[in-house]
This record gives sequence, structure tokens and C-alpha cells, in this order.
Amino acid sequence: MGRGTQTFALRTLIFATLLGFCLWVPLVSTSQGQATATNLSGVAVDPLKGTRGKVVVLLFVRTDCPISNRYSTTIQHLSIQHVGKAAFWLVYPDRAESAEMIHKHVQDFGYQLPALRDPQHALVRQSHVRITPEAAVFDADHRLVYHGRIDNLYQDFGRTRTVATTHELDDAIRAAIDGKTLQSDSVPAVGCYISDLE
Amino acid sequence: MMRKFGGVAGYLAVLALISVAAAAQQPEVEHQKTPSSPAERADVTRPQITFTRDIAPVLFHSCVPCHRPGEAAPFSLLSYSDAKTHARQIAAVTEKRFMPPWLPEPDDPQFADDLRLPAEQIALLRAWIDQGAVEGRASDLPRKPQFVEGWQLGKPDVIVKATKAFELPAGGSDTYWNFVFRSPVDGERWLKAIEIRPGDKRLVHHANVLVDHGQTARLQENPPGSGFGGMDLTIESEVFDPDSHFLFWKPGSAPYVEPDGMAIRLDKDTDLVLNTHLQPSGKPETLQPSLGLYFTDKPATLHPILLQMENDRLLDIPPGEANFVVGDDFTLPVDVDLLAIYPHAHYLGKDLRAVATLPDGTRESLIHIARWDLNWQAVYRYVSPINLPKGTTISMRFTYDNSVENIRNPNHPPQRVGAGNRASDEMAHLWLQVLPKDSQGAAADPRALIQEAMARHNLQKNPNDFEAHYNLGALLQIRGEVAESAAHFAQAVRIRPEDATANNALGAALLGAGRSGEAILYLSAALRARPDYFDGHYNLGNALASQGDFPGALVHFQAAVRLSPQDANAEANLGSALAETGNISEARLHYERALKLNPAHELARENLQQLNQNDTTRPRN
Repeated sequence: MGRGTQTFALRTLIFATLLGFCLWVPLVSTSQGQATATNLSGVAVDPLKGTRGKVVVLLFVRTDCPISNRYSTTIQHLSIQHVGKAAFWLVYPDRAESAEMIHKHVQDFGYQLPALRDPQHALVRQSHVRITPEAAVFDADHRLVYHGRIDNLYQDFGRTRTVATTHELDDAIRAAIDGKTLQSDSVPAVGCYISDLE
Repeated sequence: MMRKFGGVAGYLAVLALISVAAAAQQPEVEHQKTPSSPAERADVTRPQITFTRDIAPVLFHSCVPCHRPGEAAPFSLLSYSDAKTHARQIAAVTEKRFMPPWLPEPDDPQFADDLRLPAEQIALLRAWIDQGAVEGRASDLPRKPQFVEGWQLGKPDVIVKATKAFELPAGGSDTYWNFVFRSPVDGERWLKAIEIRPGDKRLVHHANVLVDHGQTARLQENPPGSGFGGMDLTIESEVFDPDSHFLFWKPGSAPYVEPDGMAIRLDKDTDLVLNTHLQPSGKPETLQPSLGLYFTDKPATLHPILLQMENDRLLDIPPGEANFVVGDDFTLPVDVDLLAIYPHAHYLGKDLRAVATLPDGTRESLIHIARWDLNWQAVYRYVSPINLPKGTTISMRFTYDNSVENIRNPNHPPQRVGAGNRASDEMAHLWLQVLPKDSQGAAADPRALIQEAMARHNLQKNPNDFEAHYNLGALLQIRGEVAESAAHFAQAVRIRPEDATANNALGAALLGAGRSGEAILYLSAALRARPDYFDGHYNLGNALASQGDFPGALVHFQAAVRLSPQDANAEANLGSALAETGNISEARLHYERALKLNPAHELARENLQQLNQNDTTRPRN
């Protein structure tokens, strides 16, 4: 991205903020050095900005994490189920995973979702997540209402049910859409440690 | 003058019903001993632990056989960068003994390829992370292990590839698929090894090759060549099969080369059935496995046998039952060396144990898996064969958990579960590969003695055991005990009236006893059940000929020759039936074909000579 584009983006951001517009397009940040997520073109993106009034779901995944890969169909299914009511984003927190690797991963696994790189773990911290796969749900006011496992398919490493019997992420999304309070705002996930990537 | 007809005995032998499990999750974490307690944890104040000096040797030895590019594991652990970006995961999975995968308890006999990580190494990994996962001096890094690319045993003599690829869906539960490889050889060959290349190793949890001399598994393919689904399968063999080998693949395992003298027989009618346990990856995948065949000039001189202990009949596990025990006890009729062991249960299996009680009362653990996990099942080969003398009782005790506490329970809520081949059914099987001790001078083949003892043992457990009646009938027939043999075949037919094999065996036994009228009834039943059954046509031809019904016999010998054009006996008997019905020129042709197939065929030569000498339509008796 060239300097000129950055400058333009800066103006757009300030303008939008000042006027209080609810922008629905991803916004571009001002600085490459600041801890932000980027889309696969390298443009800084804050998935929580511009979607106020809508539930936001972040799915933290990793290309080489077998457990998050096995959840691809579940993630895709949930995003279709809540289309129009919740905005889904894939978030890749491994700085070693290039945009090309992520693009291929998205294609290979048939995701129809926007993907973000989060090499500086800005979204990881904001979402309080520790694992891939792990989900974070933000309500219409963009308060974090849930972070944790998608469902209970994995009890622990290698301890897998044949089918999930609880569906925490789906429950959290429905509660967020309906403006209800969840009994538990966090259920530990099983998978690959994000802290290994720091 | 009656012409001689080839007998029936050559077409009967043991039906060895081999139900080898295909198939695959993980130790009960809360019950695992981990070195995570303060006393067991490595002292973090110890000198700096580094990747290059301390951690790489552990990973290179125990992890990178799978954790390297192209192998089954999802990421590589060859470099410092690789290890650091998975460091906490490495510590977690080793402390929980999820990795490396190894089920037998440490006090079991020593098994080859033992993957169990010593507790001090697990503590070392944790201490390294606690100290900041430091890389260390490059000069400390040991040489990276060298791995053979491609075929691990070198270029195979023959490679066979599955005729049709299997499309594995992106998601859903685990899948079990069977590929049937047709024989690539024209005659009898001996194999010293079969290297299994299952395809993308990330998808294949484990795989088994079953040697199907009777081409019976392929009957489940629809259309032919497409393979078929199923976790466990049954292979029928109508010959007494000495090729009792475990041919097992799991991630990271090296191909097994059979010891000298224990080659595997392969002939033109042998199918190799690859039974695979597949795990969806999250995206649609295609799998088309190959087998590498390695021949040897040395035929088998040592004949191990696979003993299957089981007690599936007692598998009637009530919902909620957390400790349902099934056992079996078998006493060896001969001295054997125990070479390998393969316990098998499905998702309710919890604790699997096998113990040998020697004649002097000494008890010896053969295997104990305290946290059974179908996903990591394996064949375990003993480093040193275990000598089990005649009179040793082998006892299996399998415990099942059908409660909600068992997270792998396929039923929610738990349901009553019985025995079966489906993943949601259960099994209680213990396979043992034993090599009968040298029994020179013994009157009987020790393998037959073991089979007979096993069949009688199974009938004690279940008087309606079809396979046991059939096998016992066949073994007794080989031994010449015609009446008892026919009685067991009759029991087999009573249990499965529509079974072609059993009806044929009973018919043949009755024919051998001179009761051709009764034989015709059962042989006809066999052909109603399986119209293209070579043995049925051949034997019914003989039965009809023995009653003087040569036109009737002619029809069945013609069918037999059509079904098996390379069978010299069928050709010879067809020649005789033609001669008896006055078709001398055709008869001569078939005698000549029989002699071409088998130049030493006495009956064909003798009858052909008679035709030539007499130059009449009815040769001499």
C-alpha cells in the first residue's frame, strides 16, 4: 500500500469518526506500527468498527491447527445460519502465516468469510482468546459477551465426542442477537495455544 | 466300465472367518499420570535448557518421524522455529500422554517401536518452556535425522494402486473405507513385505491389509472396483490358510519386513483388502492408496497362525453401565511362541487386558491398556517372542463404559449396545499371532490342533457358532473323521440354511461317505444360493455321476470349467462325463486340456489312454 492511500484512509477515518457515521466498510488504520489486524491485502481493518448495531463473531484459526481445520464446516454452517444478523470474521493470529498462505487456506477449506491477519494479536487481546480454534462474540454494542470453544466436540487433546452435544458459540450468537445474557461468558477451548506465537 | 472321477476332498478345508478390525481417541486425561506436579516437574532453576542441546534430541527421536513435511502430523517439528511456535502445545500433549501416541502400560512386556516418552523428558520439555524456550548454540544442534523419501523399503517389485479413489467429505464423523486390490501375479509368489502408502497421511488414522485368498470381500463392492464402507470386515477362506500375518499401518510406523521363512503367499486369485480409518480434514479430500509389493524367492517355512479370542455374544451393555466386563479364556493345545498381539474394541472400550497363566501357575501380563482409545489402536509386536507352553491359559478381560461419562459414547443418551461391525456397535476381540513350536514327528499339523481347540472352545461358549461348526467339520474331514465332520457341517447348515459354503461342505462330506442321494440335495441348495459357485458345480457333477446321471453331471462339469478354466480336475471330469454320454472327440479334447494344465494328472492320462486304446465310445474300466 502506498503512502498516498494511507493518507486518504486517515482522512476518511477522522471524517467518519467526527460525524459519527456508522460505516459498514472496514476502516483503514493510520499506522503500520500500531497493533492492528489487516486484511489479506495488508490493509488495516478493525472488524468492530463500522458494524455497530450488528453482532460480530471472530473465529481465531490457524492454517496448521488440525482442530481448527476440522471445525471449518461448522464455522461456515454457523455463518450461513446467522447471515444478516451477525458478521463473521476469520482471524489468523500466527505472524508466520503469510497472506498467501491464508488465502490458500480460505480457498482450500471453502470458507466464504473475510479473513484477517492479526500478527500483533490486537484482536487476540481484545477478545481474550488463548486458543485456535476459539470464538469471540461481540454484541450489537460491541461488548465482548462470549469467548471460548465453538462446541464440546473436543473435551481435551484426543478426547473427542462422535458428535457435539453442547453448542456454546451458537448459543452465544443467539443470545447476543436477542439481547439476552449468557449464563457463562467463557468456556475454555481445546486446540493450539496462541501464546506459542508470541 | 465306470470312469474314475476326481474326488471332492481337495475342495474342502477350513473356513477361516477373519474379522479384523479396521479401525480409531484418547486417554482419560484426568486419570493420567503426568509429571506436572511440583515434585515431578523439572527444576526450572537448573542450568539453561536449550533447544539445540536438550530439546532437539527428544523431538528428533520421538516426534519428527511424523512431525515433518509430507507425514501424517499437522505441523513439522524439525526446526527451533517449528518447536517454539508449538511449545506449549508440545508440553500439554506430552504431559497428558496424548503424544506420542502409545497405549500399553509401561509394565507390559517390551514391545517393538515403543513410543512412550520417559517422564524426565516430558518434564524437560515443560522446563524449557518455563525458562523461555531458548534456542541455544547452533553448534549443539544434533544432525537432523535422515529419512528415506518415497517407498521406505526401496522401489517395490510391483506397485498396485486402488482402482477408484475415495472422496472423503470435508466434515462429519470418522469414516471407514475398504479398498480391494486385485492380484497382479499370474501364479504363486511369496511376499516378504507389503508397504502401505495410504495416500495423504494426514487423513488416514490407521490401515490394515487383509489377505483375501477367496476374493470374498470384493462381493461387497457395488460397482466392482469401487471399494466399500465398514469399520470391520469379514474375510472368508475356503482353504486352510497359513498366511497369518498382521499387515498394519499407522502414522510414523516403518513398513514391516517379515522374518526369514515367514513370507506371505500371493496367488492370482488373492485380493489384498486395505481397510482404512479416515478422519475428515475440514475440506473435501481424495484418497487413492497404493501398495508396494516386495517378493522373495523363499517360500514360507514357518507358519504362524492368528488366534482370535472373543466373546462378542456377551456384549449386551446396558445404558449407564460404566464397568461392563467381557472375558474369554483359551488353553493352548501345543507349545507356541507369541509374536504379536492386537486388542480391539470400539468406542465404549475402557480397559483392555490379556494375561497368560502358565501350566505352573505363573501369571504373565501380555498387554494392558488402561485407557483404551480406538483411534490409536495398533498391532504390538514383542521385542522377544513370549514362550507359552502347551496348557497355558490365555485370558482376556475387556471393560466397557456405556455411561454419559464416556465422552466417546456414540449414543446420547446412552443406549443398550450389542456386538457388531458398525462403529456404534461393540467388539471384544483379542488377536494373537503365535508360531507353533517345531513339532517334528507330530502326527498332526499343530496349526490344525490349535484351530480345532479354538473351534471346540467357541462351541462351548456358543453351541450355535456357525464358523466354529464349519471349521471343526472341515478339520475333522481333513483328519478323515467323516461322520463327526458331516455332523458339524449339518449343524452349520441348520444355523444358516441358505449358506452356499456350508451346504456345499455338507454335500461333499455326504458324497465322501457314499450318501450321494442326500449329497445332491445339499449341493443343489448350495447352487441355489450361489449359482456361479465352482465347488458346488464340481461336487454336484461328481454326485450325479456317482448315481449314473451322466447327462446331469455333464451340465455341472461344463459350468465348473466355465467358472474355472484353469482347473485340471474339472477338465478331466468333464472329459469323463462327455465320454460317458458318447461324445468321445470332445472327451479327448478335455482330457488333453487337463493334461496340459497338469501333466501329472493320473486320471486324465489313464482315461485318455483308454479312449485311444479302445477306439470305442466306451473306454475300459
